[in-house]
Order: sequence, then C-alpha cells, then structure tokens
Amino acid sequence: MNQKELEKIFKFLGRQWQIFAPQLEGDNLAISAVENFAEIDWSGEIPLETWKKFLIPSEERLFVFDSQKSIETLPEIQKNALWGVNVLDLKAITLIDQVFGKDPYYQKRRSNSLLIGYSGGLESDYKKYKVLSHNLEENVLEHLAFDIFIVKLKNGQVKLYSGSRRGQETLDKSGAKDYENIEFAGPVPEKGTDKRMLSLMDKMEKSYGTKIWKDLDKICIACGKCAINCPTCFCFDVVDKSDPKDCSRCRNATTCFYNDFSLVAGGHKELDKVKQKIYFWYAHKFIRIPFEYNLPGCVGCGRCTRVCPVGIKLNDVLAEVGKTKEKKVIVKPIKLKT
Amino acid sequence: MNNLYQTQEAKILSAKMVSDDTMIFRFYFVDRKLQNQFAFLPGQFMQIGLAGWGECPISICSSPKNSKEYLELAIRNVGVLTEHLHKLKAGDLVQLRGPFGNGFDVDKFKDKPLILIGGGCGFIPLRPLIIDYLAGRLENTILQLFYGCLNEKTLLFKDEHAVWNRHADFDIALEKPSASWKGAKGLVTNLIKENKKITPNSVAVLVGPPKMYKFVIEELKKKKIKDENIYLSLERKMYCGAGVCQHCAIGPYYVCKDGPVFSWDQIKDIPEVI
Ligand code: SF4
Ligand code: SF4
Repeated sequence: MNQKELEKIFKFLGRQWQIFAPQLEGDNLAISAVENFAEIDWSGEIPLETWKKFLIPSEERLFVFDSQKSIETLPEIQKNALWGVNVLDLKAITLIDQVFGKDPYYQKRRSNSLLIGYSGGLESDYKKYKVLSHNLEENVLEHLAFDIFIVKLKNGQVKLYSGSRRGQETLDKSGAKDYENIEFAGPVPEKGTDKRMLSLMDKMEKSYGTKIWKDLDKICIACGKCAINCPTCFCFDVVDKSDPKDCSRCRNATTCFYNDFSLVAGGHKELDKVKQKIYFWYAHKFIRIPFEYNLPGCVGCGRCTRVCPVGIKLNDVLAEVGKTKEKKVIVKPIKLKT
Repeated sequence: MNNLYQTQEAKILSAKMVSDDTMIFRFYFVDRKLQNQFAFLPGQFMQIGLAGWGECPISICSSPKNSKEYLELAIRNVGVLTEHLHKLKAGDLVQLRGPFGNGFDVDKFKDKPLILIGGGCGFIPLRPLIIDYLAGRLENTILQLFYGCLNEKTLLFKDEHAVWNRHADFDIALEKPSASWKGAKGLVTNLIKENKKITPNSVAVLVGPPKMYKFVIEELKKKKIKDENIYLSLERKMYCGAGVCQHCAIGPYYVCKDGPVFSWDQIKDIPEVI
C-alpha cells in the first residue's frame, strides 16, 4: 500500500471520527486534532504529552446527587480516532486496559476511541527507547491492544494490520484490502514473565534503605512531573463538590508525590519524606504492577527522564537498584497471576 | 457494567454516642432486597459517604449474623465528613458501599486459643469476633481480650463489658485514667507482658495504632507465638476500594482488597509497614 491509499483511509475515518494525531507545533510534538493528512508527524518520536488524556481525564464526574442518591454520570464523549500511537504507548494502554477493566467510565471512553498504532520501522524505535527488554519479536503486535496498526516500510510503502473486529470492519468499509489481521493474545507474551522484570522486582523490594533512595531524597523535589507525564500513572482521588448547584462526586488525577496523597484526618502522612514518595512511585512500576498483572509497570518511553527538572534519570536509578545485594527475601512468596 | 463506586442509600435506625468522640450508628439499606442479600465477614469494612462530603472507610462492628436486618459502624469524629455524620439522627439517610477487604479468616483460628488485642478505636473491628465467639460460632478453645485505651471516656462498648468478662479473660489498661480507676494503668503491652496464660499455640489478632503493633508484636514473639498466627488489621487512606487508586498500597499489596487483615508473616519485611 502507498501513502495515497493510506490518505484515503484517513479521509474515510475523518467522516465518522474526530482524528487526533502527533503533529509538530513549533518545536513541540503535540497530540492534537488533525483535519489534513499532511499535518501528521511521521517521525515516530514520542510526544511529551501522553494519550491518557483521552482515556483517563484529569477530572471525571462519577455521580451527581439527589439527596443521598448517587446518579451515575457516564461521559458523553465523541468518537475519537487516536492516530499514530507508538508501540510503547500502546503497551501502556494495554496495561491500563487491565487496570480499568471493570471501570464503566473508562470502558465508555475506551469503546469510543479507535486505536491506530504506528511504527516507522520498529527496530529503530526500540534502539532509541530501550529501558526494559523490548526486543523486536515477530509477535509484538499480538500482545498489544489496537484496532489498526500502520507500519511504514523503508521503501516508503505502508503495511497495515487490524487488531480487533472493529479495526477489521473499519478497514473493510474504508476499501482497504491489503491488510493482515492479528489476533490479540493477551498482554503477557507466551514466553512468560519477563526475567528482567522479576529480578528488578526482587531488587526493588530489597533496595529500600540503600544509598540510592537516600540520594534521591536530597535531589528529587517531589514536583510530580514524572508521574503526570507517565503513560502508566493513573493515581486518583475521589472528591465531592458540596456546591448546592453542582453537588457531585469526581475522580481527580493526583500523584503520589503530592503532600495530600497520604494525608488523613488528624494530620498523619504515610508518605512524608521525599524518599518515601519516590520509592512508592518506583514500587508501583516495578513491584505492584508486575505482581498484579505479570507485566512491567514501565513501558520505557523515557518521558519521566525528559521532564524531570532536576535531571533524575530512570535508567540510572534502575541501574543503581540493580546493584542491590541479595540480602534477604522480603516478600515471599512472590505469587504472580498468570 | 457494575459500577464499583455506586453507593446505596441507607437509613439510620439508631445513633448513639459510646465514648466522648465515637458514635455507633445502626443502618439498614433502604432497598430491602439489598439488605436481605447483604453478607460480610468480621474485619471487613464499608465506605460510608454523604453527598457533597465524600466517603471514608469504616470497619463493620456488628455481627454477620444480623446482616439481614442491619449493620453497625462505630464512627470517630476526626474530620469534616465524620463531623457531618455525627450531626445525623435516626431516620436520616447516608450512602454506603461495600463490604470491602478480606476480613478475618476465622477458619485459620480454629481450635486454638484466641487473643484479641485492641488499642483505642482499633477495638471496633474486634467486636464482631467477640460477639461470634460468645454465640459459639467460633471454634476457639478460649478467648482472651486485651484492650488499651486513653481514659474511661474513650472506652468503647461499656455496656457489653460485663458479659465479655463473664465469658472471656478481659483486661483493660488505661493510659491516663481518672483517680477513681481501679484497673491497670499504662499500655496494653504491659497486660500482655504480665499475662501468664498466653500459650505459644495461640492466634493473636491486633487492631490499633501502628505504634502499638510494634511493641505488642515484640511481646507476643517473646511468648513464642508464630508470625503466621499473628494477624493485624491495617489502616490507610483509600478511595476506590479495589486496589486502583493507589493510596493504600503497601509492598506489593493493597490494604483495601488484599487486606485490611494481614498475617505478620506476610508483611513483616515490607519497609515501614507499621
Ligand atoms: S520529576 Fe523529578 S523532581 Fe519531580 S517528582 Fe519526578 S523525580 Fe522528583
Ligand atoms: S519511562 Fe518513565 S514515563 Fe515512561 S513508562 Fe517508564 S516510568 Fe513512565
């Protein structure tokens, strides 16, 4: 398939969906609404902004109240086509799909979002953003949630995949004939649990109290930027508005770096020191998510490192944690759900 | 799709102050069918809320055997929501959802002496276990109760103490009692230290402030009680109740769904867990 045919699909989609895609706005690679095919950025670079704004908004109304009755307010949202989601961000969405699998608000947004992945030749992407062991295997796509996937080949041609029934139907209707269907085989690769993930999980558990966290305690300013920009961060508060005109319950995004994150009535804070907060953040990525979903909690997009105002680099921290000596088994046994 | 955050309207049957800052509320669901299907385990908790004032987790303090008629929550006045709850009276409505958490697995306590240790308002979730023991529903050989509290005013469930005394070894220690107090003074830890009846095959259940856990566990270890037979109920800030919002995470666990009850064996190596 060539560019022209791809543009046809774009135009077809545009009739039913509001298309969002990475595009250059000045020097900044943004994710915003596109009307023209020519506006789309094909560099394969990872935008600083994440796609999570479409799926987990920073504020979501859950209920309005009638006396003490809670009336569900599912989001009224348009149909969004998310065009050009890179592999790492698709990994993040695949994980978030697990976490919010039973959440009706998320599911509503998700079902109104057509996921269109993109890779400009997978290999180079991986070299650039290698954090965990992302080797390019043939079956990468089988473990990603997406509807349509676009691969730009070196010769300028385009290869298309469908990854869901919806993706298939959409491609069929658009007139595209030449595409391959990929059956979603669940988020966890057949070869089983990622070895590096397990070893990191173990070391992360043992590393608390070692030098690296003491050092980070002095450097990190707990601004929360890493968490805000991370595609796998989703912490939230549930907060009421007591305004008589708009009495409602909302789910608001937060980060574990914020002071009120663990603050309880009476003034006690479970996470008080900076080292407790930053360890809690890493523990979410490298202990809790692997423990619960058998998946790494970090997709290696590098955003946290790019935004940190004091230059903390995730890869360096992991390298330090990796040096942790095997002292004792902290949490035993590590039971992983498969 | 089931909405995890969906609350149900519940009506207050009665509300009475049981200490100078704690009120026991008895509720039933307005939807009778719901009340009929309602079931819980001792040690589980509910999210109680008021429109406009949010929700907070509170342990259920009534017995599961009455779950088809009502449930009781003992609520200490510590924040904005609880202040509003304390203004309510019989007939008023609140929002409830739950039950949440794992609760006590009483099968694991079977055939062993049972020691219940509560500090302050931590005593609340122990009450269903006491009620069940007294009603013969727990297969424990003996029951020993240890209750540590600040003063007479903050002692909970005073009406029930006489009955408990008759059927169990019941010891209270007050930190700052009035001059007329005839019982033990000091911390609950001392009661345990001095008790000669505690045997190594006992199961101990601890509910109270983290400070208490540390010292009480030390004493229990001196009495050779195994880590896997020491259970504690943890408290953390929480919102969702399903291990998603992240506020209650400890080590690889979530207090809201993997807990609130953990064996000491399970969590003893998690940094700063108590
Ligand atoms: S962005 Fe950097 S300084 Fe800010 S909270 Fe994250 S690690 Fe700390
Ligand atoms: S690299 Fe940083 S921002 Fe990206 S997924 Fe990992 S932790 Fe999140």
